[in-house]
Amino acid sequence: MAMESELAGAAVRKPVTLKYPFERRDVPPRFRGRLAWDAEKCVGCGMCVQVCPAFALEMVGKGPMAELRYYLNRCVFCSQCVESCPRDALSMTEEYELADYKHKVYEFKRG
Amino acid sequence: MLEESERAIFEVPIGPQHPALKEPILLLFKIEGDTIVDVMARPAYTHRGVEKATEARNYIQNIYLCERVCGICSCIHTLVYTQGVEKLADVEPPPRAKYIRVIMSELERIHSHTLWLGVAAHELGFDTLFYYVWRDRELVMDLLELISGNRVNYAMSTVGGVRRDISDAVAHQIKKGMEILRKRLDVYTEVVEKEPTLRKRVIDVGKLSPHDAVALCAVGPTLRMTGVKRDVRADDPYQAYDEIPFNVATYDTGDVLAQIIVRVVETYEAANIIDYAIDHMPSGPIKVKVPWNIAPNEIITRGEAPRGELFYYFKSNGTEKPERVKIRTPTLGNIPAVCEMLKGYHIAEIPIVFAGIDPCLSCTARFAFIDERKGKSWVWSGDQLRTYRRKYYKRYGR
Amino acid sequence: MKEALGVIELVIFPGFLFLSWLALYFEWVDRKFYAKLQYRYGPLHTGPKGFLQPFADFVKLLAKEDIVPAAVDRFLFTLTPIMMLALSFYALFYIPIVPIVRDVAFGAFEGDLILVIFVLTIIGFLKFLAGWGSTNRFSAVGAVRTAFQLLGYEIPLAVALLTAAMGAGTLNISLIAQKISTDAILASALLPALAISVICFQAELERIPFDIPEAEQEIVAGWLTEFSGRRLALFRFATDVELTLAAALMAALFLGGPYGPAIPVIPVQVSYFLWFMFKTTVLVLVLANIRTLFARLRIDQMVHFSWRYLIVAAVAEAVFIQALLAMGVIA
Repeated sequence: MAMESELAGAAVRKPVTLKYPFERRDVPPRFRGRLAWDAEKCVGCGMCVQVCPAFALEMVGKGPMAELRYYLNRCVFCSQCVESCPRDALSMTEEYELADYKHKVYEFKRG
Repeated sequence: MLEESERAIFEVPIGPQHPALKEPILLLFKIEGDTIVDVMARPAYTHRGVEKATEARNYIQNIYLCERVCGICSCIHTLVYTQGVEKLADVEPPPRAKYIRVIMSELERIHSHTLWLGVAAHELGFDTLFYYVWRDRELVMDLLELISGNRVNYAMSTVGGVRRDISDAVAHQIKKGMEILRKRLDVYTEVVEKEPTLRKRVIDVGKLSPHDAVALCAVGPTLRMTGVKRDVRADDPYQAYDEIPFNVATYDTGDVLAQIIVRVVETYEAANIIDYAIDHMPSGPIKVKVPWNIAPNEIITRGEAPRGELFYYFKSNGTEKPERVKIRTPTLGNIPAVCEMLKGYHIAEIPIVFAGIDPCLSCTARFAFIDERKGKSWVWSGDQLRTYRRKYYKRYGR
Repeated sequence: MKEALGVIELVIFPGFLFLSWLALYFEWVDRKFYAKLQYRYGPLHTGPKGFLQPFADFVKLLAKEDIVPAAVDRFLFTLTPIMMLALSFYALFYIPIVPIVRDVAFGAFEGDLILVIFVLTIIGFLKFLAGWGSTNRFSAVGAVRTAFQLLGYEIPLAVALLTAAMGAGTLNISLIAQKISTDAILASALLPALAISVICFQAELERIPFDIPEAEQEIVAGWLTEFSGRRLALFRFATDVELTLAAALMAALFLGGPYGPAIPVIPVQVSYFLWFMFKTTVLVLVLANIRTLFARLRIDQMVHFSWRYLIVAAVAEAVFIQALLAMGVIA
């Protein structure tokens, strides 16, 4: 019977459950969502590809004009590529509803 | 005493799929009437080859691999991993980074222990307590999310320091959160102390003597609940633990109630540690540079995960990838102890006693061969595994 | 005319249709309140406030594959769900719900309380047979636990229910209800018996803290483990009807059932309906509240508890009522 006083509180307060697809929580400031690429800043050094633990990034072409291929289904959202990028060309967006039936591949293109 | 063959012993398998188990393990019970006579545990249904996979990745990539060894202790795994790599490379992380690591791992301890308390209540059929505890656990989860950005895989430690700083505003919020947490913990302590149906199920259940606990290599709260004062944080301080005063929680009855009390007291202690660490956090950089290639070296390192001692072994060979990483998770050390704890109790007590050690089985799966009839055990090397694979595919096709 | 009304009373109101609705309504009340106390919403999307969720669950289970394992006793496996549902309904016809033709329950006769107690025992026994016939280890353990639990709650329940009959001086449930509704002293003297029967019905219905026979974490689903599809749907529905039976029986025996002070303006039948719904809903809320308060007991602790405390309390209550009768406090 030790919980009766706690239960009395529950009877008058609103449930804590979020009705998820209808109610959403705010994304925290440091949230790590889907990757975004800034073509202007990228110099094609390939650092991001080297540090990616999930092999989710791939350079298409070589040198400063190289483009990036991003395998969304492999990404573990650790944000190491963002940290390792010497030119800040990569960033994490706040997108998080990424489940899909297909293996999504983003082809980041220049221009 | 009747002969083995004359006694009415029947076998009850619990697992690999069973509602009491959140992760797959086979516990094969020999039951006489309603009493457990013997138990055989078979983990390793979820062998994922993490240790082998570390050999194919560089030191930076491995942080995130090791983070995913366990779903709950994701901070302590990166902490011990990065601590090991720093030791390998002979680099000292800056003091502020050490404090941030301590704060993160203590927040994680709170989240893990409150999660355990909820699971224990659920295993006892006390679902209300489970919902309440998990609701208040969200408090800590929100703080972790605020600091690191994500709820589960924080990705905080990196080789040479931490990746994100804790600002003053966030530190203030953490301290406020700890205040609320302490108040909520008082409520649950009272429930555990006063609820008769709960106490009936946990007192004198799943007893373990201190002697057995040490002999069976129990670790963490499972060891401390028997009264043995052993904690890596106190005995072999890592990071900033040598500068922070705290008590090692012990209790001497060695039953499930002791497990609950040890974990609740540890949660209080963790809140105190966090408060102290925030007040005494030195300023300065949070990260130093560590070379990409690490010279040949060989070290061991350990830390206190919420479930007990977490152990890492490293061997480097001068390249950017480790030659060998060996991980021993605390649950593996606790499985012999829990088999001993279960003997002599009833079927109804299996879930709570087994959940009592806070099993985290997916981290535990290791690959070894054991031949029960011949009493032999051996481990295969990578070459033997490759040979076996070749033979297997030749015989059965791809 | 009388016959036509009788058919309506049997089939529509308060017959099968109304009782089925009532059973699903009580499941909804139970789930919703249980969830509310745990800071959850409970059923939410099917119908207004999730009102149709129990019905949707029932229909969904009916459509699911019905697996009959090779090793089960096919006769028991088919018989038990049907019998359990039929018997729960059967007993409800002896309990005054909303009497529209005569002033008593549909099947009321002198001695129907004994019959209802008998049916309650048979329902418990059917659960044992269902588990035993499944030939599954978990089912067998659950079945044995059901039987043990029956030994525990059976006697105090019967004593507590019969105490009401003693106080009212009749074994006809409808007449007991009528008597209780007009006699406030008797009703208050019977409150301890109500408390005892609430606890016993919690055990009969296998709900926390007495959900030992179907303890999910220990023995999967206990005696229900092997059932699926249609059979499981029938079992779950039968449990709801049993909950209705428990609430209606306790309301009738201790709170006066549908009978109560007449409410002005509205016809007496409507006031029957309102009183009945009010009393049974309160009882279901109490049962749901008990579910939230406790951890599950072990089977030996449960039997221990009921033999050491419940039976003693039930007998003491019966003696107390007899003493009041002898002293002439209640007539």
